[in-house]
Amino acid sequence: MNKILEVTGLTKIYPAEKKGKKPFTAVDNISFSIDEGQIIGLLGPNGAGKSTTISMLLGNLSATSGKISYFGKEFNENRSEVLNQVTFASTYIKMPWRLTVMENLRIYAFLYGVSEKTFQSRAKKFLTFFGVWNQRDKTMNNLSAGQITRIMLAKAFIPHPKVVLLDEPTASLDPDIAHQVRAFVKEQQAEYNTSVLYTSHNMDEVADLCERVLFLKEGKIIANDTPEKLAQSLNTAHMTLRIEDGLKRVTRFCKEQSLEVEISKRDARITIDEQQIATFLILLASEGITYSQIAIDTPTLEDYFLSVSTPTS
Amino acid sequence: MKLHRIKALCLRHLYPLKRDFDLLSDMIYWPLIDTLLWGVTGQWLSSAGQNADEARILIVSILMGLIFWNVIWRSQAEVSRNLMDEIWNNNLINLFSTPLRVDEWVTSVLLLSVIKTSITLLLLVPAVFFLYTVNVFQLGWWIPVFFLSTTMTGWWLGFISAGIVLRYGPKAQTVIWTLPGILLPFSAIYFPLSQLPAVIQPISRIIPTTYIFESMRTLIQGGMVRPDYLAISFGLNIVFLGFAFWFFMRSFAYSTKLGLGRFN
Repeated sequence: MNKILEVTGLTKIYPAEKKGKKPFTAVDNISFSIDEGQIIGLLGPNGAGKSTTISMLLGNLSATSGKISYFGKEFNENRSEVLNQVTFASTYIKMPWRLTVMENLRIYAFLYGVSEKTFQSRAKKFLTFFGVWNQRDKTMNNLSAGQITRIMLAKAFIPHPKVVLLDEPTASLDPDIAHQVRAFVKEQQAEYNTSVLYTSHNMDEVADLCERVLFLKEGKIIANDTPEKLAQSLNTAHMTLRIEDGLKRVTRFCKEQSLEVEISKRDARITIDEQQIATFLILLASEGITYSQIAIDTPTLEDYFLSVSTPTS
Repeated sequence: MKLHRIKALCLRHLYPLKRDFDLLSDMIYWPLIDTLLWGVTGQWLSSAGQNADEARILIVSILMGLIFWNVIWRSQAEVSRNLMDEIWNNNLINLFSTPLRVDEWVTSVLLLSVIKTSITLLLLVPAVFFLYTVNVFQLGWWIPVFFLSTTMTGWWLGFISAGIVLRYGPKAQTVIWTLPGILLPFSAIYFPLSQLPAVIQPISRIIPTTYIFESMRTLIQGGMVRPDYLAISFGLNIVFLGFAFWFFMRSFAYSTKLGLGRFN
């Protein structure tokens, strides 16, 4: 696999705002790489350094130290050449509101050297796919947040880039449209071998799309693995039992075993190490507690996110 | 530098002219209102006890001053206002996440300043002729010289105000309107340099436009343009433009150190 993006020891320290205050380290010596055609998730709680990292990868924030190279080329020395093949879309960044959809898209297509003819055909294809082709002559201020997000995505993909950085692209979208966006990203990856760095707060989405996840916390990468392995690293599962007889005894028994339990009507939801489930059920039976239904939820990426997102200080 | 990127940026600021009354009023409405106001005021002043020739010189000087002041104003506005427009539209990160280079941005705003100033002049020149029979072309071949010098002044004012905004953030945006205003009393636009209080005259002598407006009045009065005045004007403009461009680039580098995201 070709390495499309390689980041080594990337650090961003913001200078102290006032005398007596300490400089703030937003990104602390992170290293990672993305191969051609990979979709990588960049996760982390608010303030973890995701946006700072993306800003440095786009060159609109200078790094304090470290190295970024795209396609084997030093980014700082080849910024314009590199960015010709790297695009970006974010829910939080807008386009000029007095311009129509097509005017905006044309300007961005031209910035990437796309010809008028190619622009026309790709704009029609993408806007039709996203269901906003009939909005093409409207100015941006007449569009809904969801429509703007889809147009930003079209902007990012019209140049057929090698790398796309997507910052929460589905944040303002209805579930059906968000599903459409995920399908679109997968299709682009399959068709053009596009590499994608994807940030999102929707863990199911990340688990569905990304083959690997970088987890940032307080500026550091604390995990770099597949969504499945990150989830499995927790070992804890949620087991729900519909108790026929002995609900009070279940609560007492779980307390004795130092297990977390939530009671809802006749259901007991127990947080337990996956490997202890069998032993636990045997012990439960020996206590004379009977149940009619059992459901076991294995840990998800969201569980992992919640477990590691708590601030350390 | 890539032409397709400069073209894209020019389109970015020309498309809104089709539907944005704010921009059209800056380019057309206010210059025409100024022309009407100053023309009538000049006529009234010139009718108060002067002979016809002197009265004519007064009104022509005022209107020529107004026209070339608009060149300064529009040139600086295209540099600084185009930057502010990206900030107001939350578009600065979008733009500088593309292959666009700062020198391409600079080239496009300079080109836009010439295009939009020309549009304003295409309206003002006939307006002063039809309203007050003042013919700008009486300045002859000096027109492009005066145009170039005043445009350069507008550019360095624009780069300084854009640099201040990049350095201190949008809270400093008022410099876009106030900085050119400082030049108004010191540049001897509507009156001779000798009319300024003696203590202010040394300040006026380091402003390049003072020499242009003095030269323009000399021509209107039938005199000859002093070559040393033009040399000083262009010399000062080159020095100020060099400094302003250096300051703008430093401010841009400073703002990428803090991140362009702070303008969102």
